[in-house]
Amino acid sequence: MAAAGRNGIELAGVSKIFGQGESEVTALSDVSFSIRDSEFVSVIGPSGCGKSTLLRILAGLIPYERGSVQVAGEPVHGALDPVGVVFQTSNLLPWLNVEENLTLALRVNGSDASAEQRAAMLGTLGLTGFEKRYPHELSGGMRHRVAIGQALIRDPAVLLMDEPFGALDALTRDHLNMELLRIWQARKKTVVLITHSISEAVLLSDRVLVLSERPGRLIEDVSIDLPRPRDPSDTREDPRFGDYIVQLSELMGVR
Amino acid sequence: MKASANRGLLEGLLFFVVLGVIWEASVHVFDIKPYLLPAISDIADALWQSRAIIWENSLITLGEVLWGFLSAVVLGVLIAVLIYFVPLARRTLYPFMIALQSIPKIGLAPLIVVWFGYGLSSKVIMAFLFAFFPIVISTLGGLGGVPAHLEEHFRAMRASPWATFWRLRVPSALPNFVDGCKVAMPLAVIGAIVGEFVGSNDGLGNLILMATGSSQTALTFAALAAVTALSLALFYIIELLGRLVWWRSN
Repeated sequence: MAAAGRNGIELAGVSKIFGQGESEVTALSDVSFSIRDSEFVSVIGPSGCGKSTLLRILAGLIPYERGSVQVAGEPVHGALDPVGVVFQTSNLLPWLNVEENLTLALRVNGSDASAEQRAAMLGTLGLTGFEKRYPHELSGGMRHRVAIGQALIRDPAVLLMDEPFGALDALTRDHLNMELLRIWQARKKTVVLITHSISEAVLLSDRVLVLSERPGRLIEDVSIDLPRPRDPSDTREDPRFGDYIVQLSELMGVR
Repeated sequence: MKASANRGLLEGLLFFVVLGVIWEASVHVFDIKPYLLPAISDIADALWQSRAIIWENSLITLGEVLWGFLSAVVLGVLIAVLIYFVPLARRTLYPFMIALQSIPKIGLAPLIVVWFGYGLSSKVIMAFLFAFFPIVISTLGGLGGVPAHLEEHFRAMRASPWATFWRLRVPSALPNFVDGCKVAMPLAVIGAIVGEFVGSNDGLGNLILMATGSSQTALTFAALAAVTALSLALFYIIELLGRLVWWRSN
């Protein structure tokens, strides 16, 4: 799509219905938005509003009833090559060590990462020296870092993340948020981050999309006009940061 | 950890020693006839005296068990994969197998001997029939037990069906498969012995029949001890091989 740019995302009038007849549930209702190439966009909304469903539609993992979805210029009818997905659960295979898990997405498609690429990614993730460890020997935060690295090492143009930091403590979360920003700035990716944390969304994003309670509708599209590079402590002290938090909390009905 | 394991072993051994002493003493105190219940010492004596025949027959039974078990593993896994992936096989082969499993296999033994003779093959088939079903069921359970979130992850990575099979489904199914083998191995021993009971000229099952028939009860017990030792040894080998699938507890 010309409007969204080469690695942009374009959604037009997308609805998703689960079940049939009596048990029919509308998860998403007429959702439209566009995300530009290299933009960092978060999606927030109350639990059960269809955020994860939206991400699965973008990732080509589930079909949708109406509307059209284009990612990186291609209509989505299945998983696309330029797209990397990070899920809520870390999804590591228990029988593979860190290095093997890290390169899994490459190896299932018959390629592999060079030793330098692997070392560089392990360094970025702060996992140097852990390459031969198995998932059960890692902390929760380390497992999430491996899962994120698994998506990043393919260097996808579009990165879709479904609450990847949800299960982590605040400190690890801050740390990984900064790593994510650093990688995003260095490699210029289009990022869609599903999160239930308003402050995480404001801290990281160019724009925050707010979904309503089920059936999920897009109720607001908030541009976050804060200087970059951002930093958890400095950015949070910016008075506008607080204003955005208040604005988004009101939209979510938290206040 | 180490100390408590040793203690457990010691207690177990002690329990067997106490049982043995009670057995030995009862036979002497109550003057039980040796053809009814021989003393432990008589059984040990029979084991030693007849060690050559027991060893020879053990090897024959071992061969039957191994061939039966291995063919059950190969065919069981193949059938499980077929039933899992081919809807037609799931609708036809699976109910057929369940029906087959419901036939008491001991009742089949005379037929198998009539069809395949007194030699090795009828015993291998009996061992196979006993071991086959648990391997199919456990492998099927393993193939179907892959967590949905991992399947979705593989779809998101655009993994081919082939890659998904080898890199996700097979390793996921291995722990269940190992459990199935643990159930199947002792059953294969039972199958071979049943086959030998019904019609054979050798093997430990045959030795048990011959010894009992000639009132050499001590030799019957000695042969039973050999069957038990064989079964335990084979089970332990499976247990050791199963440790290669170390991610089972995850």
